[in-house]
Amino acid sequence: MTINIGWLYPDLMNTYGDRGNIIALSYRLEKMGIKSIVNKISVNEPADLILTMDILFMGGAQDKQQEIVNLDLKNKGSFLKKAINDGVPGLYVCGAYQFLGKYYKTADGTMIDGLGVFDLYTESPGLNVPRCIGNIVIESKLFPEIKLVGFENHGGRTYLADKKLAFATVVYGYGNNGEDKTEGIFYKNSFGTYLHGPILPKNPEIADYLIEKALERKYRNIGAERNRPLKKIDNQWEEKARSWVINKL
Amino acid sequence: MNIFLIILGKLIIKISQLFNLGSGSTWPGHIALILNYKFIENVIDENKNLKIIVIAGTNGKTTSTALLKFLLEKSGKKVFTNNEGANLLNGVASSIIKNSSIFSKLKFDFAIFESDELNLPLLLNKISPDKVLILNLFRDQLDRYGEVNTIVLRWLESLKTLSYKTEVFVNGDDPQLYYIGTKLSQKVQYFGIEKKLMKLKDIPNDVDSIYCPVCLSMLKYHRLSYAHLGDFYCSKCDFKRFGKLVSDFSNIKINYPMSGLYNVYNTNAILLLLESLNVIPAEAGIQNKWLSEFSPAFGRQEEFIYKKRKIFILLSKNPAGFNQSIQTVSEMTKNKKSNFLIILNNRIPDGLDVSWIWDVDFQPIFDVANNVYVSGDRVYDLNLRLKYEGYKNTINVYEKLNDAIEKIVEEIKVGERIFILPTYSAMLEVRKILLGRKLL
Repeated sequence: MTINIGWLYPDLMNTYGDRGNIIALSYRLEKMGIKSIVNKISVNEPADLILTMDILFMGGAQDKQQEIVNLDLKNKGSFLKKAINDGVPGLYVCGAYQFLGKYYKTADGTMIDGLGVFDLYTESPGLNVPRCIGNIVIESKLFPEIKLVGFENHGGRTYLADKKLAFATVVYGYGNNGEDKTEGIFYKNSFGTYLHGPILPKNPEIADYLIEKALERKYRNIGAERNRPLKKIDNQWEEKARSWVINKL
Repeated sequence: MNIFLIILGKLIIKISQLFNLGSGSTWPGHIALILNYKFIENVIDENKNLKIIVIAGTNGKTTSTALLKFLLEKSGKKVFTNNEGANLLNGVASSIIKNSSIFSKLKFDFAIFESDELNLPLLLNKISPDKVLILNLFRDQLDRYGEVNTIVLRWLESLKTLSYKTEVFVNGDDPQLYYIGTKLSQKVQYFGIEKKLMKLKDIPNDVDSIYCPVCLSMLKYHRLSYAHLGDFYCSKCDFKRFGKLVSDFSNIKINYPMSGLYNVYNTNAILLLLESLNVIPAEAGIQNKWLSEFSPAFGRQEEFIYKKRKIFILLSKNPAGFNQSIQTVSEMTKNKKSNFLIILNNRIPDGLDVSWIWDVDFQPIFDVANNVYVSGDRVYDLNLRLKYEGYKNTINVYEKLNDAIEKIVEEIKVGERIFILPTYSAMLEVRKILLGRKLL
């Protein structure tokens, strides 16, 4: 078994240690005895490479870098949209999350079109309104009985078309917009979220969820593989890191 | 008014030293600025003969300031600086209070002010220095300083407003800073390092500026030194590092006083700045002699003997700085096994966000590590980071720094080396434990 991880724009959308998510996926796959290959997909790579991936990841970036990515997505965008709609499991953090919505309205009122995969939009509240910065704790129905933790740092406020689409509920911090207690979006097998930290190492349940879905999709016709349970990994240090942060808040 | 502020300030400094509340390097200035917002420019205006040098950048400010002060003093000049760490406006104001007579007279030849990323435009708004040195720009404390591109724009706007007499020195191997240099009408000089020292093979993970500031295409490199520093050129437009403009001192032999490429940059920057000041005597070998007498600022490759163990402290506070520390340690150990204590705090001076540790490559440490200890406010994040990097041996985890230091000294044999890599507030704590007193 081999899982192809597609890392979108690693040289451009990798500002807040988001590389840790790729490290976490590779690490956990290795512990499960599954081979993984990390494929960097940036401006110079062909768009259709996206369709051969089993898990997709895209992180956050600075404004200038986002401009470059925005231009490139005019070409790659339809492929990414197809992959997400086909149910390729994916994680889209901060800038990437905003990209996948309908639009982003900047501080001076400029409208930047998004890919429109996620039913949401993002608006800048203006230059004089503080950014949402700090530790964040959330709860998600997808992962009952645990709290998930991360660090958020975003200016834009995101609004979902329907709050039921949210990935999680905010326990501590801002989340999508600091008003309605929603955090991120969950759509088909994709997570959109504001959680840096990075999110996957301290919340291994999400990493394992992405891996499980990827295996299910790729090997659904191979009975023996489909029914093989994922090898359990000892998560005591992950849990310790998570509870340590939560207890300090 | 300013007489009163200076007397009040000096009093505060005395009291805080008397009661061991710290060295009073921020409060006096803080109060002076509240009571007279123009305090800094008022006093500076009274001292027309004082030459002012401002040093900014993400990494190396304190080391470079200390080196410049040392060399200027060696050549007989009187110099004062703001205390390390006190690199906001209140630190600058405090240093003025401390060194001024009550009639606002500063009997010095030079003032060197180090400034953090956010305060540089604020400081330049108040005073017009003779020289401004910008060392480098890396991602650092994104939750506090903001993104690198934003800082570049702010700096550029601010530098543009300076007097035509101000001379600007920028890192010519840093594409963003080189770009700033090309946009200024003041005299600009570029420093760098010689090409044979640029040995990095691939563009690393801690880069910020590998896209052309002019046309946004991807930059390419003939050679890379570290992070995004190197001999760059744009693949589309004509933006590139003009080697002839960049002083790399390849024509002379220099006794670099500290290890690591980053210190070659710091030293070259200071030497270039000194050339423009024309203060080093022409006597052969004198520069190298002085350089060899320099000992680093505290916490920067600082060496201690503690309970008969040799300890090196290398401040490591952001991805580029941390990777440079690791690189330097690898060179220092030359594959001889060593012991490591890594400390991750996330207090205000460190930045609250610790996600940056995932942009650091720890593997070279594992190659030379006998024992690895971790501690700090976010010790479990650090532990997880090392585990996920693939460290196979046991990591010794200590929530309390005191315990970690006690244990490491107990378990490491006499004569073995211990490298301590702390974030900023952790570095202060370590020194306090090792020296038994408070320093800032």
